[in-house]
Amino acid sequence: MSSESSKKRKPKVIRSDGAPAEGKRNRSDTEQEGKYYSEEAEVDLRDPGRDYELYKYTCQELQRLMAEIQDLKSRGGKDVAIEIEERRIQSCVHFMTLKKLNRLAHIRLKKGRDQTHEAKQKVDAYHLQLQNLLYEVMHLQKEITKCLEFKSKHEEIDLVSLEEFYKEAPPDISKAEVTMGDPHQQTLARLDWELEQRKRLAEKYRESLSNKEKILKEIEVKKEYLSSLQPRLNSIMQASLPVQEYLFMPFDQAHKQYETARHLPPPLYVLFVQATAYGQACAHMKSSSQPPRQDKTLSVAIEGSVDEAKALFKPPEDSQDDESDSDAEEEQTTKRRRPTLGVQLDDKRKEMLKRHPLSVMLDLKCKDDSVLHLTFYYLMNLNIMTVKAKVTTATELITPISAGDLLSPDSVLSCLFPGDHGKKTPNPANQYQFDKVGILTLRDYVLDLGHPYLWVQKLGGLHFPKEQPQHTVIADHSLSASHMETTMKLLKIRVQSRLALHKQFASLEHGIVPVTSDCQYLFPAKVVSRLVKWVMIVHEDYMELHFTKDIVEAGLAGDTNLYYMALIERGTAKLQAAVVLNPGYSSIPPIFRLCLNWKGEKTNSNDDNIRAMESEVNVCYKELCGPRPSHQLLTNQLQRLCVLLDVYLETESHDDSVEGPKEFPQEKMCLRLFRGPSRMKPFKYNHPQGFFSHR
Amino acid sequence: MERAVPLAVPLGQAEVFQALQRLHMTIFSQSVSPCGKFLAAGNNYGQIAIFSLSAALSSEAKEESKKPVVTFQAHDGPVYSMISTDRHLLSAGDGEVKAWLWVEVLKKGCKELWHRQPPYRTSLEVPEINALLLVPKENSLILAGGDCQLHTMDLETGTFTRALRGHTDYIHCLALRERSPEVLSGGEDGAVRLWDLRVAKEVQTIEVYKHEECSRPHNGRWIGCLATDSDWMVCGGGPALTLWHLRSSTPTTIFPMRAPQKHVTFYQDLILSAGQGRCVNQWQLSGELKAQVPGSSPGLLSLSLNQQPAAPECKVLTAAGNSCRVDVFTNLGYRAFSLSF
Repeated sequence: MSSESSKKRKPKVIRSDGAPAEGKRNRSDTEQEGKYYSEEAEVDLRDPGRDYELYKYTCQELQRLMAEIQDLKSRGGKDVAIEIEERRIQSCVHFMTLKKLNRLAHIRLKKGRDQTHEAKQKVDAYHLQLQNLLYEVMHLQKEITKCLEFKSKHEEIDLVSLEEFYKEAPPDISKAEVTMGDPHQQTLARLDWELEQRKRLAEKYRESLSNKEKILKEIEVKKEYLSSLQPRLNSIMQASLPVQEYLFMPFDQAHKQYETARHLPPPLYVLFVQATAYGQACAHMKSSSQPPRQDKTLSVAIEGSVDEAKALFKPPEDSQDDESDSDAEEEQTTKRRRPTLGVQLDDKRKEMLKRHPLSVMLDLKCKDDSVLHLTFYYLMNLNIMTVKAKVTTATELITPISAGDLLSPDSVLSCLFPGDHGKKTPNPANQYQFDKVGILTLRDYVLDLGHPYLWVQKLGGLHFPKEQPQHTVIADHSLSASHMETTMKLLKIRVQSRLALHKQFASLEHGIVPVTSDCQYLFPAKVVSRLVKWVMIVHEDYMELHFTKDIVEAGLAGDTNLYYMALIERGTAKLQAAVVLNPGYSSIPPIFRLCLNWKGEKTNSNDDNIRAMESEVNVCYKELCGPRPSHQLLTNQLQRLCVLLDVYLETESHDDSVEGPKEFPQEKMCLRLFRGPSRMKPFKYNHPQGFFSHR
Repeated sequence: MERAVPLAVPLGQAEVFQALQRLHMTIFSQSVSPCGKFLAAGNNYGQIAIFSLSAALSSEAKEESKKPVVTFQAHDGPVYSMISTDRHLLSAGDGEVKAWLWVEVLKKGCKELWHRQPPYRTSLEVPEINALLLVPKENSLILAGGDCQLHTMDLETGTFTRALRGHTDYIHCLALRERSPEVLSGGEDGAVRLWDLRVAKEVQTIEVYKHEECSRPHNGRWIGCLATDSDWMVCGGGPALTLWHLRSSTPTTIFPMRAPQKHVTFYQDLILSAGQGRCVNQWQLSGELKAQVPGSSPGLLSLSLNQQPAAPECKVLTAAGNSCRVDVFTNLGYRAFSLSF
């Protein structure tokens, strides 16, 4: 049908198209053509509803025609054909109408479509615009909230207070008249001021930084200089070693000693430090007063094994093994013999009396080059210090028999301070320790351990209370320092006086009283009485002498003293003199007791003049001291005794009843023979004139 | 156990010196205060110590009350002689005599009231004064000693009025005859001389050593002590202690004492003497030894009888000599205690 319609349309179009060529044939056509026919426009003019009615009518007509044709065909006949023809023509018209209507419908549809599309596009555009606008609104809202939420940095800044601001800020920043009412301006101004200040501070900071930089650089330079100095100094030190040795200035050794000193136990350390300090101070004083001589009078050294000392700080079970080999052996052997109780005690005693492996050696040099070697030990478990002493002299001494104990280590330092005999432990706590292991007294161990003199404890800074046992004792520097000088002086005096005595004894034993030239003025030129014997006696013997009772009773004959017996003779007269030599000689004088055997036995109890003679040497000893430090006292006292004996014998009144000349003719010049109620003899010698008078 | 040796045993220099000084001390003279309660003692170091007898004798006496109340340095040399007047303590030693007020002496730091030196002829050695004697009748003091003279000093004016010469050696002792103004003196030359103060002359001389009964040449001839009672005189020293009848100048009793005597005195019907040896000897006039009371000193030099009526409770005999102790005898029988320097 469509092909039919397209066929039909074609000629129509041709017709329309070819109108100009065929225009002459059909006027109406040309008129039609001239008016411009537009089906699209026609559509607008026609009512679609009527078209729909028309369509419906046409279709019904067609259906009726078809049905009539069919009827006619089915009944067949000659007239039918005309009717059919007629009818067919009618149907064709209807078809044409239908075709037209179809076209119109199409056009209408197209038009409607176009319209819808157009409208739709419009709506779409509007919609899009709306979307855009909404988005923009949202964005703006966001921006607004962001702005609202904005926090200014300045809120965190700690501004200066308002008053301060108005006081300090310059007016061109503060602008008081503007800012007073307006907090915003005010804040701004304050911020300006802050900025100003910060700028200034920053400036300052920069300056300081540059300054610091500069100083750092300087330090760097100096450091470099110093570090470059060290190797040079080292090389100088190395180079100066021979010089040091040559000049006896052992700086290096001292340094090493300080290293070792760190391992000393506290009391020994205190002693070491104080002694070194004192030694140096002495050297300084000497060098300042007499520049050329710079020999040290006091030298300090540390002896013993540092490793052992270090080992002591390890756990205790180690330290026992770290003792010397012999000790280890001993321990092994004792382990084997453990069963016996006595050995165990012995072991404990040994442990208790153990010394610290390090000891401090002090060499005290005297003027005559004799040296006192002192070795200080520290008994760790008893917390006391002991000392061993040894004296060496520049020249070999001939040891007189009577000088036996003078320089012996046991007694040379006895009673340096009154009563300090060093045979008893100064630490009251020790007695309890001793009781535990069955040591009765330290006295038995003193020879081996050294003497625990009180002054030694003081030098080590150990101070023991006299009561309150079990008191903790701490090494104290100040205690040591306060005793160092006096003790050292006393030690020196002690050694010198002992050496002087030693020398005197050597002569005394040969019956020579060695009066030195500077003491000669104390005595007349001619002394007839002679010393014939000088021997040492023991304490017990002295106590038993009949003429020494009063000395014993006066408590002047303690067992720490040394005792001697001198015999002075002139003719038939024999004068015995018992001498108590205090360890504190020569500050404490020797004490004499006399017994004269001549015409009967005369002692101080039956002869006032013997008593006077004793008093001359014992009480008036100060004039016999001679030049300081009065080491010649003993010799002078003995010589004085010889003179006194001369005077005594020569002034003895002559017994007229006895025949013959006097045994001792008077040779001394005396002003008077007797004086006073006790008929004293003129014992006082007047030096330049050479006569004797009464005291 | 270890011997408990106290840490402060007296071994320091000062302590030893002090001990030696005490050991060699000699107390030469004593004198009782006028009130009778105090005793002054002078030693060889020139110190005078004042002891309180009443405190030492009281029932609650302690050790401290036997120590001196005051000790002061009176002289440079020994204090050989002391004597008390009713207000003063006179002490004499080397060359001069010093006076102290008893009232002030008891306080610390007292100074001497005055001091006098007799006119001596020699200048080489100052002679000592061994004896002082008060002559109450003419208010004068007689000093005798090293220059062999008796010097009389007027206590009123303090001037030396006369010097009695005659001794050939120094004078040991003096004694006053109470009835007539006569003074006895004994000296190293062995003579006892009797002086008449009115004419200032020697009226009698007894040379003791020349009498064989009492002479002891090995002891020397010196007269160390003498005492007198009316016509009797007792003297001793080198020669034996002897009782003499003065008017006839004869020795009546010779006391059998070997040791030389340094002090003698009459006491009631006894003679007390002391000297070499520890004892105070009590003799009957007939020569019998009544008692020998031992003291604490090895030798005695002075005896002092406190007979002051003002203090009857302090009536004691004190003896001092070659020690730092003064023995106190409350009765003559035994030594009660010792005062000590």
